Amino acid sequence: MSAVTGQPRTRLAVAPWQALRRSGLGPGLLMLLVVVSLNIALQPDFFSGSSLSGNIATFAPTILICVAQAVIVLSRELDLSLGAGVSLINCVMASLPQDKLGGPLGVIAVAVLVALLLGAVNGLLVAYAGLPSLVATFATGAIWFGLALTIMPQPGGVISDAIGDGYAGTLLGIPVPLLIIAVAMACWALLARHRAGRRIIAVGSNPEAAAVAGIPLRRTKLLAYLVAWMLVCLGAIAISAQTMSGDPRLGQSYTLASVAAVVIGGVSLGGGRGTPWGALIGALVLGLVTNVIYFAGISSSWQEFVKGFVIVAALGFMVLEGRRRA
Amino acid sequence: MNKHLARPLALIGVAILLLLVGQILMPGFLSLGQVSNQLKIAAFLGIFGLCQTIVIAAGGQGLDLSVGASATLGGILGAALMQGSNGLTAPALLAAVAAGGLVGIVNGVGIALMRVPPLVATLAIASVVDGGTILGVSIVHPANSASPLLVAIGGWASGGVPNIVIVWAVLGAIAVWLLSASAWGKRLTATGANPLAALLSGNHVTGIRIAAYGLSGALAALAGFLLTGYVGQAFFGLGDPYILTSVVVAVIGGATLAGGRAPYAGVAAAAIMMTVLVSLLTALAIGEAGRQIIFGLVLLGFLALDRMMKGSLRAVILSRFRTPTPIAAASSAPDTSRGG
Repeated sequence: MSAVTGQPRTRLAVAPWQALRRSGLGPGLLMLLVVVSLNIALQPDFFSGSSLSGNIATFAPTILICVAQAVIVLSRELDLSLGAGVSLINCVMASLPQDKLGGPLGVIAVAVLVALLLGAVNGLLVAYAGLPSLVATFATGAIWFGLALTIMPQPGGVISDAIGDGYAGTLLGIPVPLLIIAVAMACWALLARHRAGRRIIAVGSNPEAAAVAGIPLRRTKLLAYLVAWMLVCLGAIAISAQTMSGDPRLGQSYTLASVAAVVIGGVSLGGGRGTPWGALIGALVLGLVTNVIYFAGISSSWQEFVKGFVIVAALGFMVLEGRRRA
Repeated sequence: MNKHLARPLALIGVAILLLLVGQILMPGFLSLGQVSNQLKIAAFLGIFGLCQTIVIAAGGQGLDLSVGASATLGGILGAALMQGSNGLTAPALLAAVAAGGLVGIVNGVGIALMRVPPLVATLAIASVVDGGTILGVSIVHPANSASPLLVAIGGWASGGVPNIVIVWAVLGAIAVWLLSASAWGKRLTATGANPLAALLSGNHVTGIRIAAYGLSGALAALAGFLLTGYVGQAFFGLGDPYILTSVVVAVIGGATLAGGRAPYAGVAAAAIMMTVLVSLLTALAIGEAGRQIIFGLVLLGFLALDRMMKGSLRAVILSRFRTPTPIAAASSAPDTSRGG
């Protein structure tokens, strides 16, 4: 409808439930409620400190990568190379000499540079060369995967203990993974309130109108890719800190999971609608469903089916919700 | 007519060039046995490419990422029903194709009626179908080997021409007729090009889209069934390698994600070209890493070539990744050039 739905612009006169409905977060939140209740039922110590922080450490990479996809989807594009990019960043990190380059900070700096490069390539191909993002990022995904395999044909290498310990530790009493997610989301919240973020949403919502309004389409889409790949980089570092080694196939499953999380979170694939918060909720739902399957002792042959069913159920919710909104 | 043949001929030219390069680098690459073997592999890719051609032509960012799951289902269900006997091969084929068609229709209903984006809908259905197949097999433990008849169809040759290539040629001829000469084909491309105009001129747009996805699912299951004959048995992940490669050959073959074009001759030529390219790279002992990189670069090259031929990059940027609403699709003609 209006150009920038999803952002609480008219917060004065809107009842909370109406704002919720407009945000498209309703179905995702409902699903989150269901899976959290199931988790609590199956795992009585779900809310204990150690269990919570363990869960957050496990979910953090997924959350960051799903939020990254949401930023790109908001600009009405897509990135099917996120998973392969995670693998490539992970392999680069694990193949670096961990004690040189100024220690872990040097390794992280290299990871950031690689992520920016990958995001820039995708952004340039999509925004400046005008290639359809779906196929173009699928192609670059194949290239990232090929590069990861070149660097590391077999899983191996090491990530320095400093990164692993740092990720498992706490800062000011807050677990580091939680801190990373909080900082990432705070950065998005800040961005969304300023020109750059508004432009991303405006371009995704209605490119023609945005162009007429004088928003530089190409630069804005490139920016969306760069912001997203910074989040992907954080996700790749987080998962590297957990696995402590390199694996060229590490990220594969994240690509499609990120698209699913975006949909569950009510971010419209048509662009401009929804918020990265939705993707965060979607990622949590996916992660907690895996938890439920694990703790309920569901045999592995059911797992795929249950996961697929959850996504289809989410789609059903979204459709019903969309009908009512329309 | 010339315009329609330019791309297939160019792609076949590239394939022949690649074959010649292979022959120069490795004598024997151009032998009859090698070429017919490559055609065999291309046949499967070509059938999967047909699935994507049909759904992409139907428009609304059409895609079918459930072809892998449908093919695996078709292979496993087919093998389970035929139990290795020639007599049960035909009924098993029918059941497999029907199952695939059903999966496709579910996709189509989700996409055309409930307006779920094709990418998401087919992915979601794929995970349910894959999960259901795994579940079913873990409960029933069915037979998984192909009957001798199916092995003959999938793997053997008659008179020097592989049987599967004959099957593909027949299917391809029907497909070219159906998509570019039949009334239904015209309706399909009209729906893809401009759903609103197609609706207003009396086409059942929703029904056409559902049928397109149903056809795609049925063809994918058929391909999986035939693959079972080629490999000798059905297994999980049978169709997975074809999910994205089928999209790639469709795009290289000239299908545009905006919809409205169903150039199957080009897609079939693209399937041959990609197969020759992959086998050349394999023969040159280029590992998976190099193959992936070259694969990605080739795809990017073709995308860029397409863009250059269409000109006006700026107009293209203005009409990107659209929601499948009729009005939006109607206004996304490639020539919305505007200053500013």
